Amino acid sequence: MNLTRRKFFVVSSALISSMLIKSNAQAVEGRYATIIDISKCDGCTDESIPRCVLACREQNKSRFPEPKKPIQPYWPRKIYEDWSDKRQKIDTLTPYNWIFVQKLNVEGKDIFIPRRCMHCDNPPCVRGCPFGALTKRAYGNSVINEKICFGGAKCRDICPWQIPQRQAGVGIYLKLLPKFAGGGVMYKCDLCKDRIEKGQEPACVLACRDRLKENAVFVFDERKKIYELAYKKKKEEGLFIYGDRQNGGTSTLYISDISFDLIDRALNERNERFKMPVDVKNKIQTTFNPIGKVVITSGFLSIAGAIVAAVVSKNKKTDGDENAKD
Amino acid sequence: MPKIKRHTIIEILEHWVLALSGIILLFSGLGCLPLFKRYYITEIPGFAWTGDFNTVTTVHYIASIFFVMVVFFHMFYHGIKGEFGLLPKKGDIKNSIKVLAAMIGLGKEPPSDKYLPEQRIAYAGIGFIIILLTITGIIKVLKNLEWVVLSPGSEAVNTVIHTLSGFVFMIAFIIHVAVVICFKSNWPLLKSMFTGWIDEEYVKHRHARWYEELKGKISEN
Repeated sequence: MNLTRRKFFVVSSALISSMLIKSNAQAVEGRYATIIDISKCDGCTDESIPRCVLACREQNKSRFPEPKKPIQPYWPRKIYEDWSDKRQKIDTLTPYNWIFVQKLNVEGKDIFIPRRCMHCDNPPCVRGCPFGALTKRAYGNSVINEKICFGGAKCRDICPWQIPQRQAGVGIYLKLLPKFAGGGVMYKCDLCKDRIEKGQEPACVLACRDRLKENAVFVFDERKKIYELAYKKKKEEGLFIYGDRQNGGTSTLYISDISFDLIDRALNERNERFKMPVDVKNKIQTTFNPIGKVVITSGFLSIAGAIVAAVVSKNKKTDGDENAKD
Repeated sequence: MPKIKRHTIIEILEHWVLALSGIILLFSGLGCLPLFKRYYITEIPGFAWTGDFNTVTTVHYIASIFFVMVVFFHMFYHGIKGEFGLLPKKGDIKNSIKVLAAMIGLGKEPPSDKYLPEQRIAYAGIGFIIILLTITGIIKVLKNLEWVVLSPGSEAVNTVIHTLSGFVFMIAFIIHVAVVICFKSNWPLLKSMFTGWIDEEYVKHRHARWYEELKGKISEN
């Protein structure tokens, strides 16, 4: 290969420049956000199924998994995650139920908390998926591409709320090494991506407003307006906010007249599967990024060091007998 | 026995820092996949930490500091010095087949330069994978830092390339180590990767062209 020094510099400079180009194509904070006002939620106790849950299931039923059976266990383990026989389960998150209403008693008061993906500003699930199956959209929602999801469930493990749920027996892993790698497809709320892309509200928001009118639990709007409204309520009504600081910020703000410390304590006491920890650090921001800055800086320092070392070495006369010894 | 210098201290350091950081990156990279828990690695005494994605990612990031430093140093140091002896030359594929055949006792090895033709091809191949891993890895770091903002599609493509090239790197790494260990004719090269020196007899026999070149230089002095 005939690589001249000039060509080498051209290629190297092009590579480094291409790495440093900053694009403002998409903001990390999404366009929309949601308020979920716990103080207004009655859990639709007079109905067979909460409206938000029903609307979500109706909206997404065509996307629910249809696993091929029999399902192979995750070798060498003898287990696999199959919710297909529990499709009617509505009291928890499953691949067939992307929102549920958590009932809780805090200091003698019954409260109802609609639970679904928080749609983080810097989502660990999106950043951590090794197959790029999760993406963060400009609308603020994070979305799983079920066509390339391997179902390894890493997204669930690194989600501070363990939101994504796995169904075995479906997905791309069946076409590759079904016995040895992958475990199905992960499912979770994507904020009704097809609806919000058309400028419509998510199904749960509409269903709740249909029932409670101006007292609706859900408010979906431009992110700036939602944050302003939540902070206004906090100031004027002394309400508590959850989701603005947790995990570095999210597109979902819970507001409540009961503190989230108390709510999370009650969830822990009941050993609930889905909790609401108040102190949620975003590991990307607090741990990985400081090291990332060292990676970039040391890369540049290394280039500088290489240039100095090469120039010094070139200027140094070498004796022929330096290459041989007895 | 008379010896000839094959590697400078800088080259030895480059090789071993890349190798060690590469091993840590491969292991922690596999740990970033949801495999270790499933395959009971986390249950090996002392390996419980490998089940925590945040810990393995932190280890991956730390090892990448050294990996990135070596990659850039190598490219610029040898690039500026005009040392391109490890880049493939015309006829390397044909001669590589002869070298590999000779390793298993078929035919005679063709006379070589300082580097064997199959070493030059392997260098180009592994080098390409390393560059791919470094670039996609740096993009991941910059994206997490929010210094570059990628479209969802490009983020996914970059992630998949990083993961898949990691697998290719692992295969190339295993082949590289296996070829060194399994063929006795390569053992002096392993020793020289620690000491920097190689027996003159070995050079005369296996790197005849390089030997001729060195002999010319030495007699000139």
